[in-house]
Amino acid sequence: MIQSFLEIKELTKNFGGLRAVNHVNFSMERDQILGLIGPNGAGKTTLLRLITGILKPDSGSVRFMGKEIIGRKTWDIVNMGIACTFQNMRPFRRLPIIANVMVSCLCPRAMKRGEWVKRLEAKAMDALEFAGISDMAREDASTLSQGDLKRLEVARAIATEPELLLLDEPFGGLSPAETDLMAKSISRLHKGGRFGRLHSEGPAMIIVEHKLQWLMKIADRIIVLNFGNIIADGTPDEIIKNPYVIEAYLGQGGN
Amino acid sequence: MDLILFYLRKLFTILKNEVLVLPSRVVVVLFFLLLLLLPVFTKDPYLLRIFTLTSIFAILAASWDLLSGFTGQMNFGHALFFGVGAYGAALLNKHVGIPPWGTVPLGALAAVVSGLIIGIPCLRLRGTYLALTTLAFPIILMGVVFAFPGLTGGELGISGIARLAGSRVIDYYIAVVVMLGLCTIMWKITDSNTGIIFHAIREDELAVKAAGINTTRYKLLAFSLSGFFAGISGGLYAHFMRIAGPSTLEVSMSFQVVIWAIFGGIVTIYGPVGAVFILFPLLEFLRFWQEFRMLMFSVVVLLILLYMPDGLFRWLRDKVEKECPRCKIRNVAMRHTCRVCTAPLD
Repeated sequence: MIQSFLEIKELTKNFGGLRAVNHVNFSMERDQILGLIGPNGAGKTTLLRLITGILKPDSGSVRFMGKEIIGRKTWDIVNMGIACTFQNMRPFRRLPIIANVMVSCLCPRAMKRGEWVKRLEAKAMDALEFAGISDMAREDASTLSQGDLKRLEVARAIATEPELLLLDEPFGGLSPAETDLMAKSISRLHKGGRFGRLHSEGPAMIIVEHKLQWLMKIADRIIVLNFGNIIADGTPDEIIKNPYVIEAYLGQGGN
Repeated sequence: MDLILFYLRKLFTILKNEVLVLPSRVVVVLFFLLLLLLPVFTKDPYLLRIFTLTSIFAILAASWDLLSGFTGQMNFGHALFFGVGAYGAALLNKHVGIPPWGTVPLGALAAVVSGLIIGIPCLRLRGTYLALTTLAFPIILMGVVFAFPGLTGGELGISGIARLAGSRVIDYYIAVVVMLGLCTIMWKITDSNTGIIFHAIREDELAVKAAGINTTRYKLLAFSLSGFFAGISGGLYAHFMRIAGPSTLEVSMSFQVVIWAIFGGIVTIYGPVGAVFILFPLLEFLRFWQEFRMLMFSVVVLLILLYMPDGLFRWLRDKVEKECPRCKIRNVAMRHTCRVCTAPLD
């Protein structure tokens, strides 16, 4: 049997009486950008948090490159190659921006792979340069604007050199011009290669996003969640035409 | 001869380019020199005794800062480490007959073990809950001490243990050199990669986990490092006072450490050390006022906390130095341009 890159089976999570994620099944390939959309409260963020081990599911399994990751600790999962960003940004506010990224560079995975980089600072700087905030590297993270905090989240995630990147609303709070820039960086990252001293594997991505216009451009495949259930799964073109999706999410007449 | 000249010249260059450019560094160097040269000027046993004790407590205050200031693990029971260090050293000296240079590190290792023992159950706790839980541990140990009076001397403690060294001056030098050395090590730790992770754990533990760092390991490391340094200070205290009693485990001791650290400014290492060097002698020299002593002490502490919430030494440092807005390097407040990148200051 050919094993999938990421395989999610019967994943279920309840918060009290509320079923946030309901028997979700899907698998994805190494070279995909997967868009995850759905109305507020559909369980998108919960799903990401289940994959990263921040939340524990009630039942189901998640296999990453053939290994079960449910039950592992978050840092363990990150060191296997899954990095995530937070929807409500969680920077280390009283640390300089570069130190924020250096924490990610210090994780065992990044340390082992970057042995030839003696100076962590240089590597952290390259991650910042990729995200486009290297000119503010010495400022405290508390001085950053919303948009720049999003970039910092991305820089921190890619500094661990992941194979699967989970982005939770990377375009949230960005202006149209910034969104364009971010979308371009994301597709560039997906192609892989070297960014200075930072090596990108060309990670697969799961992107949770509300700005469909941009997501449709970069995603290969879209999954639509509603009340914890997958209601549609397909290419962006198929999703836009799907009547269930239009009813549940896009509203009458679509977006 | 050439080699000596070479190193002298190197030392001079460092002094000129790194130390003399900032008042805070000059003050630190003067502080080191003054402490090391004090016995040359005075051999007054009372003065030397006060400064020996001050040095010992400075280690304790700095070790609290390492755990609670940097890593953010609020520990209101720091006396536990101090007490374990003191009792460990005393027991080993009295019953096994190991000399002080062996008992102090062994006592500190016992404190590390105690740090791990309280660290593991406290890992899930945060903030106020952690503070309240840690508060209980020294009290529990005090109960254990009272339960075995045959071994621990009960309320009287273990007395008659060996002196630290032969004379007051040597005692003083041991305490001061150990203090300066350990505080430099602690400052170096906080300045290293490990220090960055400690800072980050204080800011947001979940985000550190999501960066792939095993936070449990680093929190336990913080507990054991802090326990080690506090244990050394406890061992030195026991051998200097020649008694290890339940007073080393008292709640007031735990809070004393917190007051020192916050007075000087947490997350600095130098802040708590400086604070002990002001507050401990102050309390001693105020003895002539008898009942008013504690009142004056509280007034001083309250005023400082009211007007300098970041601590006395942070406040002083910000008065005489300012940060370059461009390259973030500190400059003397008098300068108008940055000494490195020549950007205009303010």
